Amino acid sequence: MSKLELKNISKRFDGKSVLKDVSLVVNEGEMISLLGPSGCGKTTTLKIIAGLVEPDSGDILLDGESILDVPVEKRGTVIVFQDYLLFPHMTVEENIGFGLKMAKVDKAKRVKRVREMIDLVQLTGHEKKYPGELSGGQKQRVAVARALAVEPRVLLLDEPFSNLDARLRESMREFVCDLQRKLGITTILVTHDREEALMTSNKVAVMLEGSIEQFGTPEQIYKKPASLDIANFFGEKNYIEGTIENGMFKCKIGKFKANHNISSKVKAMIRPEEVELFPKSADTGVLGKVKRKKFAGDRIYYTILVNDTEIRCITKSEKDFKIGETVAAKIDFGNVVFF
Amino acid sequence: MKRMKRRELIFKVITYTLIFLLLFPLVVLVVWSFTKNWPWPNIIPREFGLRGIKYVFGPSSKSLKILLFSLWLSSVVTIVTLLISIPAAKALGVYDFKGRRIFKMLVLAPVIVPSVAVSMGIHVTFIRLGLANTFLGVVLVHLIPCIPYGIRILTNVFEIIGESMEMQARVLGANPVKAFLYITLPLISPGLVSAGSLIFIVSFSQYFLTFLIGGGKIITFPMLMFPYIQSGDRMMASMYSVVFIVSSLIFLVIMEKTVKTYYKAENYFYI
Amino acid sequence: MYKWLKPYVLLLPAMMVILGIFIFGLAMGLIQSFGYFPVVGLNKITLKYYREVLTDKTFLSSLGFSFYISLISSIMSVVIGVLLAYSIVQSESKKGIEKVIYKLPIIVPHAVAALLVYNILSQSGILARILYSFGIIGDQSEFPSLIFDKKGIGVILAYIWKAIPFTTMVVYTVLSNINDRLLEVALNLGADRRQVFWYVLLPLIMPSIFSCFIIIFAFSFGAFEVPYLLGPTSPKALPVKAYIEYNNPDLTHRPYSMVINMSLTFISVILVWLYHKSFKLISRYDG
Repeated sequence: MSKLELKNISKRFDGKSVLKDVSLVVNEGEMISLLGPSGCGKTTTLKIIAGLVEPDSGDILLDGESILDVPVEKRGTVIVFQDYLLFPHMTVEENIGFGLKMAKVDKAKRVKRVREMIDLVQLTGHEKKYPGELSGGQKQRVAVARALAVEPRVLLLDEPFSNLDARLRESMREFVCDLQRKLGITTILVTHDREEALMTSNKVAVMLEGSIEQFGTPEQIYKKPASLDIANFFGEKNYIEGTIENGMFKCKIGKFKANHNISSKVKAMIRPEEVELFPKSADTGVLGKVKRKKFAGDRIYYTILVNDTEIRCITKSEKDFKIGETVAAKIDFGNVVFF
Repeated sequence: MKRMKRRELIFKVITYTLIFLLLFPLVVLVVWSFTKNWPWPNIIPREFGLRGIKYVFGPSSKSLKILLFSLWLSSVVTIVTLLISIPAAKALGVYDFKGRRIFKMLVLAPVIVPSVAVSMGIHVTFIRLGLANTFLGVVLVHLIPCIPYGIRILTNVFEIIGESMEMQARVLGANPVKAFLYITLPLISPGLVSAGSLIFIVSFSQYFLTFLIGGGKIITFPMLMFPYIQSGDRMMASMYSVVFIVSSLIFLVIMEKTVKTYYKAENYFYI
Repeated sequence: MYKWLKPYVLLLPAMMVILGIFIFGLAMGLIQSFGYFPVVGLNKITLKYYREVLTDKTFLSSLGFSFYISLISSIMSVVIGVLLAYSIVQSESKKGIEKVIYKLPIIVPHAVAALLVYNILSQSGILARILYSFGIIGDQSEFPSLIFDKKGIGVILAYIWKAIPFTTMVVYTVLSNINDRLLEVALNLGADRRQVFWYVLLPLIMPSIFSCFIIIFAFSFGAFEVPYLLGPTSPKALPVKAYIEYNNPDLTHRPYSMVINMSLTFISVILVWLYHKSFKLISRYDG
């Protein structure tokens, strides 16, 4: 259990900059997510922490000491890869015990530790099986157990759930998070799944094109995205251009009170779930026409046309309007973010 | 970083040392074949000469004729082996059927079981059937050491490509023959080249089988070469060996090039 | 409609050759080894020839010699072949000429391999000349006889020279197909380079090494050319002995040579079985 710090890490591959000045602090026992689209440099960051890739510049500190000169096999920063990478010629037991064997831990201790790990990840009865005989979820648990067996100082999870089907993914996610909390291992989870990042971590670092754009708690990231790019990464939004004067936001669809005081041209970001729809008769918000409607079970996705401006909104499925119907759209400007 | 460099250097040294040890004897072979006079204890020949190559390709020599005959015989063996191996490999690589393992073991067995034993056993029967001392008889007996290589390499290829491509072609309206010609054959062509090369090498280097079943009537290049090696005439033996190695190299390169250009042209034409 | 027949039909041509020549040839040899050879008037089935040959001292020393040659050749070839393959993978250079050129011995026939060894190791060979020029030996006769010798060094070297590239080719292919990231995982879990080799790479290539070993062993056990050209007059390697018996003008002598052939075959059948086992191992790792 250690505190991990990345200081101004940069890396280029074949002249292409992959990581730009990445800095990050993970406190002891914390679980943070490194969130970003594929190809943004997340996995490279993990490999640099683990020592599989050398950074061009910058430093990595573990409990205040630089580990750049520590060879891979001595770092104690263990990665669990997306495709598990279990050794095909070893049984479940042998896979889990591999790291201990390499560290020349004596056999009795090793057997005991492997036993504990197998209990921990609930694989009792599968000890003698080969990876080829396991299901995806079981392989995943072997990979986690194999990493935990060596008591890593930092656990690095590289998209560990993305190869699992939806239901299994959720239960494995919960399982691993519980384990992390129970053992209190400093953990970095790399993922491209926004929900996963928000749900699992103490803090989220959003990475776009090789640099960390924002680092904060899930609430901060979601409610106050630092840039349009981050906001976009979290899903489809409504953007309305306008100006703010004297605490009022003026735009094509009307005038609203804004919790923002700078007088300037701005873009307002309105999340679809912050637009509420009412029948025309409700006499609230602005009037618009339903242009598109997509039924999605518990929700309905609407596109409303207000003065030639399309506004997307999500409602519960009880709010059933017809295409072409005039409705009243109430926008909660308290949570609107201005850029 | 420095440690990595040193590691790499060590492995480079090992690689090149071993490759040198493997190639050095061949260099000595080439030097011997162009030697006129190389008495003890000189490290390099006192005099070089072209007597060897003149003898092998001279107008009175039958060597060139025998070389061409040898190439022809091994080409026939290669083609027949491939024709036999393709369907067998497809069966073993694509289908699951009763006795598959036994069949696989049977077709691979000739790699392990000495052909000396097989050929001595079959010799009398071949004499009785009139196959001994004939071209056909020698081709037939050459199939034995060649078939395992053909089937093994092509089985691997069929295991990889499976049957789905051919099925897709069938669904799109190709009959079995067309599906084979336009889909399967191009897909397995790289495998055909490597299998064909290996089969050719095995057949072309064959001495004992040709010697026994050919009974001195069917003479291939290795049989021409063997007595010189046996008698220790280093210059002539080396010359024959060099001619042997160079001609198989040329033949293999031509085979690979032909198949490649043929299928490239084919692709270009149909896409 | 008779779909189940398809694989058997496809196998038919290959089976005709295998059964008609390979198995039939072995069966004929087997029958003759029991003394049934009507062409020369031997009609009685007997174990006499087996009894005589299997208790014959020269046969036993030949058997021992063949076994020894094959064992040493196959072990050495496999060890050096793996070393070369691993070194090539580790020193991966961009040009990669070393990836092609080492294969050259594969197209060289065994008879020529014997010549190469003769050129280098005979008492007037290049090695003796080099040693002489460095003053290590004073005369040809001081150079140890490494060919036609009872230790079979020349024979073994010829086999090794042929078999190293074969092993290297097979192992190199397997090595370069192993997922590099599996090695990263091993390092990441705390294995050093040496441990990665012994605990991850070697077990993964072991089945292929084993099948190479069997092929080389079987070949050097049953092949005629090299021991015929480079081997000692006594003990003779088994295939050479079988051929000499076969060539005996007295045809009633044939069963003796067939008994030797059957001994060769018997041992190789055991090898076929082991070879087959190695395939099963390979397929388990793939799963």
